[in-house]
Amino acid sequence: MNSNISRVVAGVAIVVVAIVLLIVLKDSGSNTDSSKPGAVTTITVEGGKPVGGVAELTYSRGEQVRFEVESDTGDEIHIHGYDLMEDVEAGGSVSFSFPATIEGVFEVELEGRKEQIAQLTVNP
Amino acid sequence: MTAILLPLAHALASRKDLPIPTWLFAWGASIVLIVSFFALSVAWRTPRFENDRWRPLGAGLSRVLLGRLAQALCGAAGVFLFGVAIYSGFRGTVAPDRNFALTFLFVTAWLGIPALSVVLGDVFRPFNPWRAIGRVAGRGFAAIAGQPAAHLRYPDAIGRWPAAVGLLAFVWLEVAYGSSGGVAVGVSPDTAATAALVYSTYTLAMMATFGVEKWCQTGEVFSVYFGMFSQLGLFAVRAGKLGRRLPLAASTHWATVPGSLAVVIASIASTSFDGAQEGAFKGAIARTFDWLAEAGLSLTASLRLTDTIFMLLCFAGVGLVYLAGVRGMASVKGAPSLAKLRSGFAHTLIPIAFAYLVAHYFSLFVFQEQAQFTYLLSDPLGTASTDLFGTASGGIDYRLFSANAIWYIQVAALVIGHVAGLTLAHDRATSYWGDFRQAARSQYWMLAVMVAFTCFGLYLLSVANS
Repeated sequence: MNSNISRVVAGVAIVVVAIVLLIVLKDSGSNTDSSKPGAVTTITVEGGKPVGGVAELTYSRGEQVRFEVESDTGDEIHIHGYDLMEDVEAGGSVSFSFPATIEGVFEVELEGRKEQIAQLTVNP
Repeated sequence: MTAILLPLAHALASRKDLPIPTWLFAWGASIVLIVSFFALSVAWRTPRFENDRWRPLGAGLSRVLLGRLAQALCGAAGVFLFGVAIYSGFRGTVAPDRNFALTFLFVTAWLGIPALSVVLGDVFRPFNPWRAIGRVAGRGFAAIAGQPAAHLRYPDAIGRWPAAVGLLAFVWLEVAYGSSGGVAVGVSPDTAATAALVYSTYTLAMMATFGVEKWCQTGEVFSVYFGMFSQLGLFAVRAGKLGRRLPLAASTHWATVPGSLAVVIASIASTSFDGAQEGAFKGAIARTFDWLAEAGLSLTASLRLTDTIFMLLCFAGVGLVYLAGVRGMASVKGAPSLAKLRSGFAHTLIPIAFAYLVAHYFSLFVFQEQAQFTYLLSDPLGTASTDLFGTASGGIDYRLFSANAIWYIQVAALVIGHVAGLTLAHDRATSYWGDFRQAARSQYWMLAVMVAFTCFGLYLLSVANS
């Protein structure tokens, strides 16, 4: 009887792993990249917050990262990890263009307000 | 509205890990299963780790490393570095990433010492600043009073429970407590320094009450936590002599003190929580936060309460999975009592706890240590007022490890931790069950527990920061 129990447990363990795998595989299938290579994304900041939530910028290593920030408030825009900073004036805009050389997930932030406006993902 | 979470890793490091790709997750999980069933088929029949086979090293080495001078120097170094951290916390910049205090306490010490301990043994003990102060105070008292200080008897029934609670409190401070008035939480340097002083006062008071060594063995959070990992390490001091021992083996007697199980579960749970809050639990945390905020709590209170709830849920979840495995083992013929099983297999989770640390914090550690040994060392206050070692203008090279290298290290850590955990569990079973077949049968249950933890760890990696 005990050996039956242990077989059941081993079976359950396999089933659990299979289910987890299935969920993950399914999830990753539905993921779509928000940015197309070459296209310039514009992030609009109103009242110190990004319109439509934190923008997702996804690139592969070696590609050119291009995006523009339009803001109705003046602040400094900081791309973490790459440590790039540009001032933006109230009502003005600033554009970024640099090669994606560091892999990982990085924040783009309004430095003064400590508000994240975009998440930069660089895949290998 | 959604919660803006600023956990510590985030406040310090500018780079976060990419989630491991699906194919690596699948490979990792498959390897875990294959390794597990292979382990069952080739398993040994008599316990090999119950005795750690400690052998002394050369007497000269012991005399130098354990001598008064070395002890005094190590203690002084520990007190000095701890003092620098507190001073920087109060007097340095409020920017968490430029202040010595946070990186030193939460990265260099908190993550670095377990890594050293797993390999070498209990490296924290000689550097423990509270132990050093406590011993000097004890000597001073004895010299003045003419007799050693009398201590209260420590209630042995509570064992390591104070350390388990303290461990959760420390991690809570790290990830759930915030000092800023807004919706962002993240511990600031001066909060960390204040907490360090409060903890020091508490620890010294407890040492005075119960005795320095007794409190280090049971209640002092960091001694107990680092000491737990050191059980896996290669060297140990016994009867005043430094010796070598069988890796992993010393852990087999670690959990005999009550509350040890809670310590190792708290460790796994807090790392899980930290790993899940920006991935697996992100949505659930945001919903709970919104719900609490709408119920009328302030934003900061909602955020802290949400984090607290999820941290406790992690603790309960990890504990329940383990206890379910213990229940299962108890149903196998010839099993010892439930209480004996419960504490008897607690040490098998130590390698898993360490694997979780590596999987979750490896990249933070290697990148942040570059900051520690460049600008934070030369300019501890972060005010650009000093350049002690000429490295103040240094920085972090995020190209040091590629995303692929980090993924492999994360997955390898989980698989190796899994194998070490299984090894210890199987070994313990052979000593508890006289009949090998029953021992093997009992291990289907522990196998299920370990597979659950390892696959959960892999799952956390696969949804990290996504």
